[in-house]
Amino acid sequence: MTVFLTGLQYLGYILIFPGFLFCFFCGLLLTGIDRKLVARMQKRVGPPLLQPFYDFFKLCGKETIVPAAASRTTFLVAPLVGFAALVVVQLFIPICGFSAFTGMADIIVILYLLLIPALAAILGASASGSPYAGVGLSREMVTVIACELPLVLVLLAVAKAVGSALGTGLCFSVSEIARYQVENGSLITRPSMIPAALAFALIIPGETGSHPFDTAEAETEICEGMHAEYSGAPLAIFKLTHAVKLLTVTSLFVALFLGGIGTGIAAVDGVIVFALCVIVTALFVSFVHAVTARLKIEQVFKYYWTVVSGLALVSLVLAWYGL
Amino acid sequence: MNLTNMMDYHHYPIYAVMVLFLGAFLVAAGGARHSKNPDNPAGARAWIALCATGLSLLFLVLLVKPVMLGGETIAYWMGMRGIAGGYAIGIALEVDALSLFFALLIATAVFVSAIYSIRYMVHDECVPQYYVLYCLLAGGVLGLVLSGDVFNMFVMVEILTFAAVALTAFRTKVYGALEAAFKYLVVGCMGSTAILTGVILLYAQYHTLNLAQLASLIPGSMNDATKLAFAFLYIGFSTKAFIVPFHPLAADAHGAAPASISVLISGVLTKSGIYAIIRLTWFLFQTMELGSMQFMLVFVGSASMFVCVTMALAQHDFKRLLAYHSISQIGYVLTAVGLSSALGVSAGLYHAMNHTLFKGLLFLAAGAVLHETGTTDLGRLGGLSKKMPHTTVLFLIGAFSISGIPPFNGFASKWMIYQATYQRAVETNNIGFLLATVIALVTSTLTLASFVKVTQSVFFGQLPAEYENVKEVPFGMRLAMGILAALCVLTGLFPNTVTSVLTEPAARAVASVGEYISAMGFKSALPTPELSFAHVGVWAPIKWLLLLCIALLALTIASLAGKYDRVSAPQEEKTDTKYQLFYGGERSVYSQVGGGDLFWGFKHNWRHYFDFMHNLHSGVVNDYALWAVIALALAIVYMMIAL
Repeated sequence: MTVFLTGLQYLGYILIFPGFLFCFFCGLLLTGIDRKLVARMQKRVGPPLLQPFYDFFKLCGKETIVPAAASRTTFLVAPLVGFAALVVVQLFIPICGFSAFTGMADIIVILYLLLIPALAAILGASASGSPYAGVGLSREMVTVIACELPLVLVLLAVAKAVGSALGTGLCFSVSEIARYQVENGSLITRPSMIPAALAFALIIPGETGSHPFDTAEAETEICEGMHAEYSGAPLAIFKLTHAVKLLTVTSLFVALFLGGIGTGIAAVDGVIVFALCVIVTALFVSFVHAVTARLKIEQVFKYYWTVVSGLALVSLVLAWYGL
Repeated sequence: MNLTNMMDYHHYPIYAVMVLFLGAFLVAAGGARHSKNPDNPAGARAWIALCATGLSLLFLVLLVKPVMLGGETIAYWMGMRGIAGGYAIGIALEVDALSLFFALLIATAVFVSAIYSIRYMVHDECVPQYYVLYCLLAGGVLGLVLSGDVFNMFVMVEILTFAAVALTAFRTKVYGALEAAFKYLVVGCMGSTAILTGVILLYAQYHTLNLAQLASLIPGSMNDATKLAFAFLYIGFSTKAFIVPFHPLAADAHGAAPASISVLISGVLTKSGIYAIIRLTWFLFQTMELGSMQFMLVFVGSASMFVCVTMALAQHDFKRLLAYHSISQIGYVLTAVGLSSALGVSAGLYHAMNHTLFKGLLFLAAGAVLHETGTTDLGRLGGLSKKMPHTTVLFLIGAFSISGIPPFNGFASKWMIYQATYQRAVETNNIGFLLATVIALVTSTLTLASFVKVTQSVFFGQLPAEYENVKEVPFGMRLAMGILAALCVLTGLFPNTVTSVLTEPAARAVASVGEYISAMGFKSALPTPELSFAHVGVWAPIKWLLLLCIALLALTIASLAGKYDRVSAPQEEKTDTKYQLFYGGERSVYSQVGGGDLFWGFKHNWRHYFDFMHNLHSGVVNDYALWAVIALALAIVYMMIAL
């Protein structure tokens, strides 16, 4: 009986909170808020808050067209794998003190698990056989490389800072980092972590493909790039993945730098984390989106490997010398 | 000698080597005529080679229980000789867990590649000779890792180098094959000569060639001549492992050799070089405690990692690209081994094993493409996934593995390497190890980029009209790839089993030099150290996979309940030009999405670096020979100062 109940509990984690249902609603809602905010900042009315939900359901009802040049199976399976992998990553990110699954993945693993949705999108685009998708995937891959270096430096800095504070030297476990923050206050309050937090915040628009780093999609020049040949339900899944990725990356930011604010009740903490995600999105995604124009791909790369990596490196060096 | 005595497992190491040489002899005795069967021009001789490699693997697998799990070190004297007057007389084999670990990798790769060869080599000339050389190469490498004395290591290096050179030039009609073989011959011979010089210097000093005895004598009596010998041996074995600055040879050799031989050069030959470097640094000279030696290996390893991955990004030939990745992955192994920590050695060996598996798989996939289309030029291929679906899936498994995508094996070992390097950086407070961690992490992403390029330009994208009639490769070739792919997945999903059965015993053997010396019958006061393989990270691939499967299942049910499967039928092919693909006003075939230019955004920022590298790798053998001389000179100076 207890086995059955535990199984049911884990199934609940996967399907409802913090799994599919939570991802679906919060991800799309976050995207809706982002779109509304950008519109208001640009003095437009903007779409209704629930527009991403309408888009999703409308796309689901549309016909799916598979191009003649496409590799059919890969083309259709890629969106599903990418989305499932992303939801699993969300399960590992602690919500204040609460983690649904502990002891399964550390921050380095999460870094690589976050690659899977991008890789799925790239393979799907590649399988479509379209040259627009080819250009799109090339840019997406370069963006991934661009974000990787600063992200690695940020994670190493956090691992070192928490590790030396705990006296273990190193700490890769996300739940440990969350617990440390519950006991000692958010990491962002430590001066050495401020550049790292800023670097991570600047990575968020790159990871989620938002302005000015949306070169991989660039509707106006390469017809949405990787999604050029997608239509109907697979496109809906891609849009959903995109929305959930915003949630995942912002909640990872919250877990790493703004942890320790929770109340101990999972549902309330969920709301708090979501509120923090909204604030992070508003500051580093919507605002940046509203005031910038799209960069060229080589500029994206240069920016991440110089400015953002430099910030992260400052943090790493400070953490290294125990500040 | 009765049968039970003959089947004592202490004889198995020599049996494993002998069956391969015997196989070579039997194949050669069968003559050079092609048989009438068009599917197997070597006839029974191919089966002899397959049996020899299979038997060799079997003997080694039977040794896992006593050596890996039982912790025994087998010392085996050939011809009943032994120690006389305090000196080792005669030829000895010594098999500890480290030797056996590498021998198992080698035998697996050799066996799988032999399965593949049967159908792969059907269109070639002189196929029987191919199997002779194949068995010689395999026997040479296996003899090298099982040998108990340093002169035999040199003999085996000679055998394997000449077999490898001949096999590189095997397809004489392939453009560049003879040139590649010549380059390999020149620099390879410089390496072999360096090894011989090192051996002579050691023999002159210590009057023995036995590894165990040398290991007991050298550390207490280091002088300039010993240091010189070390430098010569290190450079000699570096040429065999193709680490920086000998990486251009690998690219040429792999580009020209048949794919089944590329598997051996990359998965087997480079391993023998790495094995010899571990034996030198950890056993013979016992220098791994020194910061200078750790620096050297980590530096060379990191340089190999980064230089070769960027060189790979610039390639537009499938096999040359794989060749550079091969060295890049060897860089990971060398870096991890150079950390001089138990976790590092275990991680490095794990990666060495994974490298043999996934790189073998990738070379076989490249061979499959070459076999069906006749080219490996990334600019001319495309869209093969529709014609060769199985090869595509197998290639993708290999590509995910090498790029370190969870849950495949490359991730498990790289993840251990990241931790080992970072842990070491924190322990020693040395920022150099931290840099190695960052380089390893970034290299992994660049590897992924490179394989996205291959996937896009070979298996996906548009199918050129000339490959309209391409078929899937025969079952024998798919079987060989399937074995390696299955091993890639299994070793990725069960990292704890792999480490406890294979890499940790081997890492323990690396640390217990005293046992290695005393097993041969020499006295050693070296203590057996207490090792800790503890690491701070957590990764449970099975649980993750379970979660992913549940999530995927839920998603699939939801999609099927929705309208995901209501896909409109593909339209019939339209031949009118107005239906053709255009990009930026040009026909899609002329757009920059294919081959070499795919990651323009990255390469543009690094253009000065790429220009520099392009000019440096001139392809002239004189230059590469000069590099070898410079490397040797630097190594000598470094050893004199640092040791």
